[in-house]
Amino acid sequence: MASIQKDPILQVETTCGSLLYELQIIWDEVGETETDRDKMLLELERECLEVYRRKVDQANRSRAQLRQAIADAEAELAAICSAMGERPVHIRQSDQSVGSLKQELATILPELEEMQKRKIERRNQFVVVLEEIDSITNDIKGQGEYVTSRLLIDETDLSMRKLEELHGQLQALQKEKSERVETIRKHLCALYSHCSVLGMDFNEVVGQVNPTLSDPEGPRSLNDQTIGKLGDAVQKLREVKIQRMQRLQDLATTMLELWNLMDTPLEEQQEYQHITCNIAASEHEITEANSLSEDFIKYVEAEVVRLDEVKASKMKELVLKKRSELEDICRKTHMLPVSDSAIDQTIAAIESGIVDATMVLEHLEQHISKIKEEALSRKEILERVEKWLSACDEESWLEEYNRDDNRYNAGRGAHLTLKRAEKARNLVNKLPGMVEALASKTIVWEQEKGIEFLYDGIRLLSMLEEYNLLRQEREEEHRRQRDQKKLQGQLIAEQEALYGSKPSPSKTIGKKAPRMSTGGAAANRRLSLGAAMHQTPKPNKKADHRHIEGALSTGRRGLDIAGLPSRKQSMNPCEVLQSPLVRKPFSPISVASKANIATATTTQQVAKEISSFATPVKNNNNSMKNLEEEKMMTMMMMQTPKNVAAMIPIPSTPATVSVPMQTAPTPFTNNARLMTEKPEEVVEYSFEERRLAFMLQSGLV
Amino acid sequence: MTQAPSAGNELSNPPSDGISNLRFSNNSDHLLVSSWDKRVRLYDVSTNSLRGEFLHGGAVLDCCFHDDFSGFSVGADNKVRRIVFNVGKEDILGTHDKPVRCVEYSYAAGQVITGSWDKTVKCWDPRGASGPERTQVGSYLQPERVYSMSLVGNRLVVATAGRHVNIYDLRNMSQPEQRRESSLKYQTRCVRCYPNGTGYALSSVEGRVAMEFFDLSEAAQAKKYAFKCHRKSEAGRDIVYPVNSIAFHPIYGTFATGGCDGFVNIWDGNNKKRLYQYSKYPTSISALSFSRDGQLLAVASSYTFEEGEKSNEPEAIFVRSVNEIEVKPKPKVYPNPAA
Repeated sequence: MASIQKDPILQVETTCGSLLYELQIIWDEVGETETDRDKMLLELERECLEVYRRKVDQANRSRAQLRQAIADAEAELAAICSAMGERPVHIRQSDQSVGSLKQELATILPELEEMQKRKIERRNQFVVVLEEIDSITNDIKGQGEYVTSRLLIDETDLSMRKLEELHGQLQALQKEKSERVETIRKHLCALYSHCSVLGMDFNEVVGQVNPTLSDPEGPRSLNDQTIGKLGDAVQKLREVKIQRMQRLQDLATTMLELWNLMDTPLEEQQEYQHITCNIAASEHEITEANSLSEDFIKYVEAEVVRLDEVKASKMKELVLKKRSELEDICRKTHMLPVSDSAIDQTIAAIESGIVDATMVLEHLEQHISKIKEEALSRKEILERVEKWLSACDEESWLEEYNRDDNRYNAGRGAHLTLKRAEKARNLVNKLPGMVEALASKTIVWEQEKGIEFLYDGIRLLSMLEEYNLLRQEREEEHRRQRDQKKLQGQLIAEQEALYGSKPSPSKTIGKKAPRMSTGGAAANRRLSLGAAMHQTPKPNKKADHRHIEGALSTGRRGLDIAGLPSRKQSMNPCEVLQSPLVRKPFSPISVASKANIATATTTQQVAKEISSFATPVKNNNNSMKNLEEEKMMTMMMMQTPKNVAAMIPIPSTPATVSVPMQTAPTPFTNNARLMTEKPEEVVEYSFEERRLAFMLQSGLV
Repeated sequence: MTQAPSAGNELSNPPSDGISNLRFSNNSDHLLVSSWDKRVRLYDVSTNSLRGEFLHGGAVLDCCFHDDFSGFSVGADNKVRRIVFNVGKEDILGTHDKPVRCVEYSYAAGQVITGSWDKTVKCWDPRGASGPERTQVGSYLQPERVYSMSLVGNRLVVATAGRHVNIYDLRNMSQPEQRRESSLKYQTRCVRCYPNGTGYALSSVEGRVAMEFFDLSEAAQAKKYAFKCHRKSEAGRDIVYPVNSIAFHPIYGTFATGGCDGFVNIWDGNNKKRLYQYSKYPTSISALSFSRDGQLLAVASSYTFEEGEKSNEPEAIFVRSVNEIEVKPKPKVYPNPAA
């Protein structure tokens, strides 16, 4: 039995044999027929076959399943490998065809599992990358709010290459994002600085651009639109800044100009130094907070307006100052100042803003320079006028002195008075010549300028004429006095004869005749205006009154004296002026007479010829010029007092006789302009210029 | 009147048209002559030979020496030239807008100074390369056309038409040191500074010379005076001639004047005396120059166009040796000399 148990197939075979034996025994007993027995055995065999077939089928099926499983596994493996871009491991192994199917399956399954695990890992990597890409893309493109998008992973391509690709994409996106962040940061910085300079609320400005930007913690919108808007905002603020800066600089320039104009003290300027120092700064240089805020500009504007107002008032002051300067000059040079009303009008105009004060100032300055120029040309004549007037004063003093009967009483300082009288007499003797010279100078001046020479608004010539008239009247007065005195003398003599006493001469009404005649001939005696003026202490004579009035009314105020008969004119400039001929330079002057020039009213003619201009033109000149010419001519071998030492001749040596020069002190004249300003005189040319012109004309050059 | 025995040696090969100026060299007896025949000539007076001739584009109105090897000339073609004598080379230093009347070289400033009828005085640096931008140092506007100029030390006196006289300091040309009007009433013909640098003499077309002083003090100005010269009395008619030229004696400070009457007079300005009168030259005296030691006087006898175009005596240059007695100042003699 033990052996049967050891081998089941043997047991089955034993069991089958024993069973068959048992069956045969049974059959024998039963007595079954052979056919039944065969039938039974066939049936038995068929049933056995059936069982076998079934088992074989079963085994076959399971083998097919196994193969299928292997094939599936292989296929999956291959798919995974291809998806992951790796070479399938299995293909190498199948070539070797190891063992049974189950073995094969057993080897392939762990591989598959391994691959599947790797695939999942890879997939997760993809997911991570894609998620990141997605989020960045959202950041960049989105509107700020997070939009989740479905993750679409292409299962068929999970290769490393693809992953790297995605990584690259991710990095690019990250870079872009950081760039955008940087751009935004820069914009925000610029915006902040602009805002601070312009004095604006930064958060408000940023909030207007994009609300997410004003939140320092939260996520910020990074999309193009935000950046664009931010850039626009920066640009806009920059424009505003430039605009304000220009405005401020304009104001600062104005301020500087005003300071310059008004010499504003430095301390006052210091306050605005920080503004004016930016006058030439460019836009990016202005970074100080609030330096361009509206309030600040308003503040500077206010200062400029204030300065402008100050300027307006200062201008008035300046104009007034200039005007007083002008008046001062006028007073000094005895010219008529510009009428007050005209200046008052201009000042009113300045105040009302019709006229720009600077223009008026300029105008005034021009006027002053013009007046100064004129004053310069008048200087010479004015000096003579002063001399003349002082001489007149002296004359009047002398007259007064002469009337003083006690003048020879020796008292304190009497010698000084005597000296003065002596000097005054000398001066009075020179007066006629002085007046004449002055008149001729004045005529020359008037001819030159084409205007009348006014002295304190009165024509100087008329003053001189007046003086001459007065002098003649005085002469007549004197004559009358003399006559009266003579008459009185007769009367006294008669009285004496009657009553035997002689009244004191000092008590006579008619005073002693002034000793005016000491100077020379009666024709040369002249009274001065000054004399008439000062002759007032004893107004006991009608004649004196008349003189005073005459002097005051006509002499000083310059009333028209044309109506007064001119009784005698020793000097008549008009005659000379009216002469039709005007002397040309270089024209020869022929001598007609050598009359006494000092008294001459006749025109002096001096024969004179300059070789370059041979055409003789008859000369007619004013007496002054004649005088000079004559001096020059007659001073051959003669010299003015200054040069006396030089004129002494030295004993001549036979070989070389030195001859004194015919010198004359150079006249300090301005009347040389006469030459150039004469209407006939076009342009003077030198011989060389004429020569060149001739050469050019005749084609020699 | 004292007559000189002779007019002096006449140079051969004189210019063929008006002599505008002549000048002795400061270093030798070379004589530089500019003339209206468009030429500048260089003579060696000691050998009476023509050493060089330089043709220009127009009448030459003035010339001066730089050193013995070169000189400057200006003329009617508006150009300022530098002439190098031995090579015959010429550079154009620059141009004026109108003919250039006078030229001077300042040893003090190392500059060439030109005066022109374009109413400017210009300074040039002759060392600069050719071309106006490089050589021109400055241009200074004058009130009128420049007629005559003279230099002494750092002073420059410019006489123009319209009887203006401007006095400059070469070290500050921006502004005239003094602006004056000629003391004479007629057109200025010539101006020359005293060698001692205290003033200048100015002659006019109307036979007169004014002696002026730079110093503006009253004492100095009191010394100034004018005198008549180059005149002729004929039958009660006075004929007055232009005074074309003045030349100061380098040693004695006396001076020669030349007029259109053909006379050369020597004057003692301090003592107000005429020292000498040379015999009459054939025609007007257009220019005068003393040699460096004052031993020679060059006289250009050349019609100066004072009466317009007319036939005239040929141009001639005379060089006469000067006796000391003719140029030495004579002190004043007092009637009662101190015992």
